[in-house]
Amino acid sequence: MKKAEADPLAQAYLHKVNSHPGVYCIALNRPKSKNAISVQLLKDLRAALNQAISEKLLNVLIFYSSTPGAFCSGADLIERKSMTDAQVREFLSNIREIFNFIDDLPFPTIAAIDGPALGGGLELALTCDFRIAASDVTKMSFPEVRLGIIPGAGGTQRAPRLIGMSKAKELIFTGRNLTARDAQDLGLVDYVAGSSSTAFERALELAKEMSSSAPLALRAAKSAMSRSLDTPLITALNHERTCYESLLDTKDRLEALVAFREKRRPVFVGE
Amino acid sequence: MNSVALKISRAHLIRFASPWTNFCTKRFNSSSVNSRQAFLEPLECQAGITCLSLNRPQSKNAISTTLLKELIQCLDTAQFDKSIRVLILRSSTTGSFCAGADLIERRSMSQVQVARFLSDLRVALGKLETLPMPTIAAIDGPALGGGLELGLACDLRIAGRNVTKIGLPETALGIIPGAGGTQRATRLVGPARAKDLIFTARMLSATEALEWGLVDYISSPESDAFERAVQLASQIRNNAPLALRAAKQAISRSEDLALEPGLDFERASYETLLSTQDRMEALVAFKEKRRPVFKGE
Repeated sequence: MKKAEADPLAQAYLHKVNSHPGVYCIALNRPKSKNAISVQLLKDLRAALNQAISEKLLNVLIFYSSTPGAFCSGADLIERKSMTDAQVREFLSNIREIFNFIDDLPFPTIAAIDGPALGGGLELALTCDFRIAASDVTKMSFPEVRLGIIPGAGGTQRAPRLIGMSKAKELIFTGRNLTARDAQDLGLVDYVAGSSSTAFERALELAKEMSSSAPLALRAAKSAMSRSLDTPLITALNHERTCYESLLDTKDRLEALVAFREKRRPVFVGE
Repeated sequence: MNSVALKISRAHLIRFASPWTNFCTKRFNSSSVNSRQAFLEPLECQAGITCLSLNRPQSKNAISTTLLKELIQCLDTAQFDKSIRVLILRSSTTGSFCAGADLIERRSMSQVQVARFLSDLRVALGKLETLPMPTIAAIDGPALGGGLELGLACDLRIAGRNVTKIGLPETALGIIPGAGGTQRATRLVGPARAKDLIFTARMLSATEALEWGLVDYISSPESDAFERAVQLASQIRNNAPLALRAAKQAISRSEDLALEPGLDFERASYETLLSTQDRMEALVAFKEKRRPVFKGE
């Protein structure tokens, strides 16, 4: 089902899912540390993302762990201990840039959380449109305050926007651990996979539901919605109009109207 | 009770009380000994947790001009007290929180005095909202009007399970919430529910308040909001004090900023921690597989 197209030794790499047209994955690949974010992983992640935006047939992107029972355990604290302040600043600057990049990706993104999602790992999940956790995940948290720091990769901004101010404060001030169900109750996670399924499998199901939509329409919809809560309503409505207009001339829109009349499924080409 | 008897009974309770927090939550330093209408008291058995106690039992802690003045003094003191890691706002007496502005006093106030009171109250709630340490409101009794507004200016709110009077009834009194309620309630529960609450002037039970998101927890049946607040506070106070302050700052501002400037602010808040001893201590502790010991430096 999965086929690695990039260097499997990289700490993060992009690959297609052959059984699911339009669905691609970025695999986090540091099994020994439960995919802790090292300087190298960030580099490889950046490269994988650059590849992703140049894939014309990519409709949905899933972030997951190449090894089962993991997702991303946060910044690599062993590496961190030997870093100078300047190196830490550079790391923070890079991670913030990369996470913003993910937040701004034009296509839908899903985080498939099959293991601990701590600190930067949870912040990575927050940059995605959707989060799915396996039913046996027991460790999702923002432990930074227990380590004398704060979430430095957008957590203090994205968490309140997702789950509200009070709940975000509680999670970040206490640093407490959530199970998959806790996270779902809070709205931190959108789905919990069934007990016989992994989060990745559930993510593929969700991706499949989206990847059959018109690719340009998906991108326009995401663009219209993503910043809408940050802007006044009038501005956001104008933006929605612009996004809609960008689709008026597309082949896919006309194909959909024809298919509807002919009572068949549309065949979209992304143009 | 004379001080000797108090000491003996305390020792008795230390030995036989279980769980430990039950002792913590007994209100020993409360109203009978203290004539102030608002005062700060550190929790004896949990270093770093301080209570800001409202103390007008006869009026369910309605906010008089005196209480307001003393509240502001407490807030100014707390602002600069580095030993406070978590602040719990509560009533010195059981079964209460804050019943709102003192309406008896209000009847005899001139318009200018009312305007002055409202202005001072707004300033006080602004100070409360921007205290550098995490704050928790322990709502063990009616929280109405200005009383609920007080709770809304805290980071987190806990209601006692049996509390039945949580609301913003001002429109039933010919006024509107004047101490931030229309703004803070809306930000907390959304415009529809805030309008529902304020237009109907109705009173929510603790359970309804929890469902709405107006409060974050309700106490279990055998316990009260204060005990639950101490429990929550103890989960917070072991974390690095400076990190808590930086986290609060970054999160609190997130509502008012678009994402990019918010991320800039987060970055700036993180920066203040890079040169702290506590950050280094945490990394060393992580390597040595032990709990870090934070000093707030």
